[in-house]
Amino acid sequence: MLVYTMRRVLGALPVLVLASILTFVMIDVSGDPLADIRMQQPPPTEEVIQQAEERLYLDRSMPERYWLWMTGIGGNGDIGLLQGEFGPSTQGPQYEIGPAIVERLWTTLRLVGAAMIFALGLAIITGVISALRQYSKLDYTLTFIGFLALAMPTFWLAGIMQAGGVKFNQLVGDQVFATIGDGRFRAEGQPLGDQLLNAFAHMALPTIVLMLISFASWSRYQRTSMLEVMNSDYVRLARAKGLRNHVVIRRHALRTAMIPLTTVVAIGVSSVIDGAILTEYVFQWRGLGDFFITAVDNNDSYALMGWLLLSGVIVILANLVADLLYGVLDPRIRYE
Amino acid sequence: MFKRRKSLALAAAATSAVLVASGCGGGGDESGGGEREVTWVIETLPGAWQSISSAGGSVYVIQTLSGILPSTGGWLPDAVTYEYDMDVLAEEPTLINDDLDEGPFEFSFTLADDAVWSDGEPMTGEDLRVTWMMSAGPAEGYCNGCDSRLSTNPDQVEDIEVDGKTATVTLKEGQANAEWMGLFDSHSVAGGFLPAHLAEENGLDVDDPDDLGEYFAWMHSERPEWSGGPYQIVSGDLENEVVKEPNPEWFGDEPGLDRITFMFNTDEGTFVNAFSNGEIDGGSPSSYNEDVFTQIDELQNATTTIGEGAAWEHVDLNLNNEALQDVELRRAIFTAIDRDEIASRNYGAGYPDYELKNNHIFGNDSPYFVDHFEGESQGTGDVDAATEILEEAGYEVGDTLTLDGDEVGPFRLRSTDSVVRNTSLQLIQAQLSEIGITTNIEVTDDLGGMLAEADYDIAQFGWQGNPYFVTSGSQYWGSDSGSNFGAYSNDDVDELTDEAANAPDLDTAADHMNEAMESLVPEAYVLPIMHEPYYSFVNSDRLAGVEDNLHSSYRATYNIGEWTLAD
Repeated sequence: MLVYTMRRVLGALPVLVLASILTFVMIDVSGDPLADIRMQQPPPTEEVIQQAEERLYLDRSMPERYWLWMTGIGGNGDIGLLQGEFGPSTQGPQYEIGPAIVERLWTTLRLVGAAMIFALGLAIITGVISALRQYSKLDYTLTFIGFLALAMPTFWLAGIMQAGGVKFNQLVGDQVFATIGDGRFRAEGQPLGDQLLNAFAHMALPTIVLMLISFASWSRYQRTSMLEVMNSDYVRLARAKGLRNHVVIRRHALRTAMIPLTTVVAIGVSSVIDGAILTEYVFQWRGLGDFFITAVDNNDSYALMGWLLLSGVIVILANLVADLLYGVLDPRIRYE
Repeated sequence: MFKRRKSLALAAAATSAVLVASGCGGGGDESGGGEREVTWVIETLPGAWQSISSAGGSVYVIQTLSGILPSTGGWLPDAVTYEYDMDVLAEEPTLINDDLDEGPFEFSFTLADDAVWSDGEPMTGEDLRVTWMMSAGPAEGYCNGCDSRLSTNPDQVEDIEVDGKTATVTLKEGQANAEWMGLFDSHSVAGGFLPAHLAEENGLDVDDPDDLGEYFAWMHSERPEWSGGPYQIVSGDLENEVVKEPNPEWFGDEPGLDRITFMFNTDEGTFVNAFSNGEIDGGSPSSYNEDVFTQIDELQNATTTIGEGAAWEHVDLNLNNEALQDVELRRAIFTAIDRDEIASRNYGAGYPDYELKNNHIFGNDSPYFVDHFEGESQGTGDVDAATEILEEAGYEVGDTLTLDGDEVGPFRLRSTDSVVRNTSLQLIQAQLSEIGITTNIEVTDDLGGMLAEADYDIAQFGWQGNPYFVTSGSQYWGSDSGSNFGAYSNDDVDELTDEAANAPDLDTAADHMNEAMESLVPEAYVLPIMHEPYYSFVNSDRLAGVEDNLHSSYRATYNIGEWTLAD
């Protein structure tokens, strides 16, 4: 398995490098990183603009800048991926892209992690129930809910959830749900219970939004997969052997039925990250989604490159984990 | 802290396992009752912890530092009254010499004896000197790495002599500045002045340019643990929120609140829900959003104000285009544009009391205001008058405007992609088609680049105004100015704006500026439309004492020390 993992990781490197070249070129031609500085009123002096150009390496050619970004050779010590430096930011010398990404990654992981766990759990439960009660009223109801969630655009759903949260608070006469921010500084120094309540208040609505986005499609996959397995020969054999129904479902059918879902979830990681961009924006969470929007707004090339690289790594890792999970779920699969 | 009650923990517990854990944790109603705390929203992330640098140069940084930075004074909301901060100053600043024949222009500031920083260190003239050196441009050589975004005034200074609490400022030979009192006020590049003693505490020598550059970078990157105002920052970051509590060493009147949270919320669309939910108690955004304003205005507990903001919209012509070098064509274009229609369509619903801008520099309520468009046909949308101008100049007006048989235009009509500007461009396009001029609308997301490269024929964009005006003319229309994007050049205007910049007093400077506009307006280079309205909103059930200052970067936070809880 180790050899297989290494092979997969090494195979992913050229893909990442190619993707980074493509995105670097696209970002480079898409706008002037100094546009905001040039537009300041009154305009800054030529020396200030020149200073900014030198700081951002804009006085070098595009290939030179890419080489610098990758290796750091010939730079000022603040650039070079291989040296652990993501490069200077248009948001000022005080803004360090690396630490910002790490901090925001944690914020996003909290949100995406919780949403994925809940979405996965809900998708498996509803998918299995729908499959076992095929064409029943319950199946139709769950199918309807699934399609409804699938059809709703993220930003709209987020807006609806915010309005719903406010209405709920007004109804109960208290503030249970918060609609903006992650409230990280609000509970500083407060008792643990207060901190958890504060975290819940800020986390509940965005988590539900992200969860609903993913749950809808995943539950459909789980239903289809479960139906297929339930009609397979080995499940019929298990039943013929006289095994109890819940044992057949849990031990024999469910494990196999989860293999396609594992693939879908791995691919779905990128969709959840995409969803997080809008969700974080609407709920004003300073995670990677917001980092991406801020970087675009500021024409911050190196920050965008960092974000894209991280997204690529996450997707590759998720796919690798999915491949490895196949072996756990299906004993017939081995990585020799 | 976010309000909650134990009873609600039970309700929430039903919805999530997280809540179960929370309910078991106990907690309490920490934020109810006696706590005097409010949350103020800022609609963009501040770029740094100080505002001198180009990255930190925004009103959001300044507002974040409200109640922290001391300053020598500022303009009050009426934009006519200038008030010195007599908590910080021992006496009103002294103009020692304004007669350049007698010697260099000289003035002094003396800080109050009891004025101290939050660590107990006294404020001294050295604080002013160090702030000046960091605010000066790189070419002055005081600081390596300082990238002051606005060094015009600091660069005029030859030297600052410090004697304890007093700083005596001497300008360079032959230079005068009618706005001398503003060097360290709330409208200055630093938004006030910064402590000098922290440099030494960090082992830095402020007279060494490298060390000063390091201090500058430190100031911009580190959350200020220091304060020279009624509040001090106790927690927070530049991405989520900043929490302020009273500065125990503050030497002025005691502030009225125990805790103010400045929340950064970049999605104005969420303001209404957040306000209804009690998550924010007020804000004074720097852009106008009619939907948000009208929705908040309808809420029962909201008190809103709206008025002419500092930014004003205008239509510019690019004189690099050969056709547009003809002043008669320019006059006809500006005559065909109906400013009132543009203003009413964009702002009429939320701000029906809008006024068109008839003076490029001075607002309608300024004592220096002179109506330069009185009797002018420009901006009236008078198609007949525009047609007459064109025909007299030899043009043929029909479905297509022609000169000597050749079509005039089409012109590229450009701006950024915003609701207001899109509406404007469409109206201008329709209005110019009335005199046979075809325009192609092209929006850009890189306004700075577009203007710097003069990549337009007709453009609409905005300038940021300021009660200080003496250098604005040379910046907007000076032949050598980097901001004179459309390449206008007029020796008389150059001379008058230079005289305004070096005038010994404001009255003289204003006279020169108005004279320059008298020459400028008939040449139809820039057509002012109106000031963008700015609004503020406050939860009147929770917060009192808030007053929006539309002419200050601090906006409604300019008097943060006077905010109190509503009765």
